[in-house]
Amino acid sequence: MNYERGELIEMLAAEYVLGTLRGPARRRFERLCAANAAADAARIRWEDRLAALALQLKPEQPRDEVWRRIRGAIGADARAPSVARPRWVRWLPLAAAAALLGFAVWLGPRLGLGPAPTLVVTVLGEDTAHAQWRIERTADAHRLRIVTIATLAANPDKTYELWALPRDGKPPVSLGLLPRHGDIARPLSATQSAALLTAGKLAVSIEPPGGSPTGAPTGPVVMVGVI
Amino acid sequence: MSTAQFDNNELEHLLVRCASKDPAALESLYERVSGQLLAVVMHILRRRDLAEDILQEVFIRIWQQAGQYDQLRGRPLAWMISIARYRAIDLLRGQRRVVSLVEEELPEELIATDGASESIEESTRTQRALRDCLKILTVPQQRCLALAYQEGLSHEAVAASMQQPLGTVKSWIRRALQSLRRCLES
Repeated sequence: MNYERGELIEMLAAEYVLGTLRGPARRRFERLCAANAAADAARIRWEDRLAALALQLKPEQPRDEVWRRIRGAIGADARAPSVARPRWVRWLPLAAAAALLGFAVWLGPRLGLGPAPTLVVTVLGEDTAHAQWRIERTADAHRLRIVTIATLAANPDKTYELWALPRDGKPPVSLGLLPRHGDIARPLSATQSAALLTAGKLAVSIEPPGGSPTGAPTGPVVMVGVI
Repeated sequence: MSTAQFDNNELEHLLVRCASKDPAALESLYERVSGQLLAVVMHILRRRDLAEDILQEVFIRIWQQAGQYDQLRGRPLAWMISIARYRAIDLLRGQRRVVSLVEEELPEELIATDGASESIEESTRTQRALRDCLKILTVPQQRCLALAYQEGLSHEAVAASMQQPLGTVKSWIRRALQSLRRCLES
C-alpha cells in the first residue's frame, strides 16, 4: 500500500474513533470503511486501543425502567418458549446435558483438553464442490480444530501446511500441518491466535515433509479460504 | 459493581446467544456492561435522561446486530463501547452543546496512579499496553485525548476548554495519536 495513503488512513481512523473527526468528513470516513478493508481494520484497531479510556470512567447505574423498556422492545422478537410438556420431560435432556458437561469439565483438564473449538473459521478445498478441511476455533482462538472432510490420497512426499494471511499485508503465520485424515484439535501460541483473529484468509501450501523449513510458505499455494 | 470485571470470552458467548435471540443472554449482557456504557454516554451528553435513551437504543441495536458482530475481532467490549460512543457523538452534533467545563472536575491526568480508581480490571493486553503508552504523552496531550474521547469534545471545544489556540490543540492531538501508535506497535 502507498505509504502516505496508509498514514492518512491511520490518522483519519484515529480521529474518527477519538471523535474529533466531525461533520461531512466523519460520514466520508464511514463510507470509506464500508468500501475499504484497510480503513475498516484501522478503525477497529483504534477502537480497541482507545477503549481503555472508556474503562477509566466510573460506571453509572441505569434506572430500573431502562431495562424494562429494552425488555419490552425486544419481547416480540425473542425466541418463542418451548412447547408445554410435563416438567420432568422438559428437564430431562437438560439434566443429561448438564451431567455430560460436568463430566467433560471434570475430564477435560485431565486429558489436557480446553473448550471444544466450535466457531467455523473457513472451509478449505480446491473449489466449493470439493471441500477438503473444515477449520474451527474456540471463541478465544486459543485452540484450533481441523476436520478432514475428504481423505487425501497417500503421497508421502507432500505435506500440507496451513497459514493465516493477515489483513494488513504482514507475512503469513503458520498454523501448523494439516492432517491427511481424521479430526484433530491443537492449542495455538499467542502469535498464532493473534494472527488467526486478524486474518482475512487462510491458505494451504505444499511443503517438504515436516513443513516449511523457512517459517514462510515455500511451495505452491493450493487452496485459499476467505474467513 | 465497583469491582466488576469484564471477561471478553464470556461477553462473546453472550453475543452469540443474543444472535440466536435468547433474551436471557441480553439481560446478562446488560447486567455486565450497562453501567460502563451509561458512564461513557453520560460523560458525552451530560444528561441522564438522554443518556438512558441512548443506552436503550444501544442494547436494542446489540440485540439486532449481535449476528453481525465479527467474532474475529475478539473484542466485544470495544465493539459495544464504540456503538454507544458513536451514537452519543452523532446526537451531540445535532445539539451543539454549550460547553462550560470550568465547574467540571476533570482529572488533571489521565493515568490513574493506583489501580483501585479504575472501575474495571482491563482484561486485554491492548488495554494494558495503552495505559503504559499514555504515560509517554505530555500532560496537555493526555488531557486533550481525555476531553475528546471521554467528554466527546470537538477540536474547537477542546481548545476552548484548555484556553489554547485551535492549531496548537490540533497538533497536540495529532502528535499524541502518532506517539501512541508508535508506542503500541513497538
